[in-house]
Amino acid sequence: MEPSDRDLMGRLAQGDREALGPLMERHYRRLYRIALSYLRNADEALDAVQEVFVKAFQAAPRWDPQSDVGPWLTRIAINHSIDRYRRGRRRQVAEAPLEEDAGERDARMTADDPSPERRLLGREVGERIASALNGLPRRQRAVFVLRHYDEMALEEIARTLDMSLGTVKSSLHRAVHRMRERLEGLR
Amino acid sequence: MSGLFHRGARRRTSLLAMGALAGREADEAQAHAASCAACAEDLARLRRLRELMALDPLRAAEPPIGAAALLARVNARLEEAAAPPARFAARAAWLLPAGALAAGLAAFLIYRAWPTPTTSPSPAPPPAVVREAEAAVPDELVRRMERTMTREQTARYLDEAQDLLLTVAAPRPCERQSKRVDVEDEAARSRQLLARRALLVGMGGEDVASVRPVLRDVEYVLREVASLPSCAREKDLQAIQREVTRRNLLMKIDLMTRELKG
Repeated sequence: MEPSDRDLMGRLAQGDREALGPLMERHYRRLYRIALSYLRNADEALDAVQEVFVKAFQAAPRWDPQSDVGPWLTRIAINHSIDRYRRGRRRQVAEAPLEEDAGERDARMTADDPSPERRLLGREVGERIASALNGLPRRQRAVFVLRHYDEMALEEIARTLDMSLGTVKSSLHRAVHRMRERLEGLR
Repeated sequence: MSGLFHRGARRRTSLLAMGALAGREADEAQAHAASCAACAEDLARLRRLRELMALDPLRAAEPPIGAAALLARVNARLEEAAAPPARFAARAAWLLPAGALAAGLAAFLIYRAWPTPTTSPSPAPPPAVVREAEAAVPDELVRRMERTMTREQTARYLDEAQDLLLTVAAPRPCERQSKRVDVEDEAARSRQLLARRALLVGMGGEDVASVRPVLRDVEYVLREVASLPSCAREKDLQAIQREVTRRNLLMKIDLMTRELKG
C-alpha cells in the first residue's frame, strides 16, 4: 500500500529525504500551476515549487500531524509565489531582466501544440487574465486561482485557506464579477 | 422577490457559472436562472467568461522538468541551505589573507612615512597626518582588495562555468545505461559551482552588480545540469544546450570575464 501524505510528512520530520520523492510526485504539478498563475513565468514557477518542498522539508519537524498535507503545501506555494512576485516587481524596477521570447514562452507553457491563431489568442487572453488577476485583492485572488487553475471544491478551498465556506463563496462571487468587468470586450 | 434573496441568487449564479456547485444546489441555481431574466443574462455572461478563461495556456501548463529532476534540485538546494557555517568559514578564511596583506601593506606605508631615526634611539611620535593615515589606509585598502578579489573570483567562477558548459556539450556515453550520457562529474561540478556562486553574491553584491544578469543565467543553467541524474537522457542535455544558445551565454561569459579582469 502506498504511504499516505501524512506518513511521508512523518518520515520527513525524521529527516528522511527519500520521502520527498513520492510527496513531490503527487503534488508538484498542481503546485506548479498555482505558482505559474501568480508568476506567469515557467522558470520562476519552477523555482517557487522547488522552494515549497525545501520549506516543507525544513518545517516538517514542526508540522502538525493532524493537519492535511495538500492544503498546507498549497498555502506555502501561494505565500511563496506572492513574495516572489513582489520581489520580482522590485527587481524589475532596479534591473532590466532578459525577456523570454513570447513564442518560446508559449511553447514551454503548453503541453499540446495549438494552431498559431489559437496560440496568439491564448497569449492575449493570458496577458489580460494576468493583469486582471493582479488587480484582485489577495483573498479573492487565492480563491479564484484555486478554483480556476486547480479546480478545487469550495470546501477544499475553505480548508486550504482557513476560511469559512460562506467567505469562500462570497470571495469567488466577487472575484468572478471583477474578472468579468476587467476582461469585458476581450472577445 | 426580496433584495437579500436576489443577492443570494446572484452569488449562486456566479458559483454555478464557475462549475463550483453540484447536486441540489446546482439544480436550484439553474432553476432560478430559468425563471429570472437578469440571472439568466448574468449566467450567460459568466459562462462566456469561463469559456474565455479556459483559453489561458496556463491551465494546461506542465512543469518543464519531471519530478526526479525537481527532486535533485530540491536536494541540491537543501545541501546548499545546510552549508551556511561552511560558507561563513570559507569567507573568513578568504578574508584572513586579505586582511593580513592589507595590514602588511599599511605597515609598509607607515614605515615609509615615518621619519628615519638618526642619532636618537627613540624616535619622535609620528605626526598627526601619519596617525590618521595609519587609521584610514587599511580599511580603504582592504575594501579595494576585497573588490579586486571578488571580481577575480567571479571571473574565475564564470570561466569554470563556461568550461563546464562546453564539457556538457560533448558528453560521454553512459556505461551503465544504453542510450544515455554520463554527466555525473558535470552535475557534481555544477553543485560545487552553485555553492561558490552563493558565496560570491553574499560577499560582493555591489562589486559584481554589472554581471548579475549573466550570473543569474549561469545559475539557472547550472541548476539544470546539477539536477540531471548521473546517466541522463540526451534530449535533456540538448534542452540545456538550447537554453545556453538561446541566452547567448558563452559569448556573454566571455564579455563579462573580460570586463571583470579589467
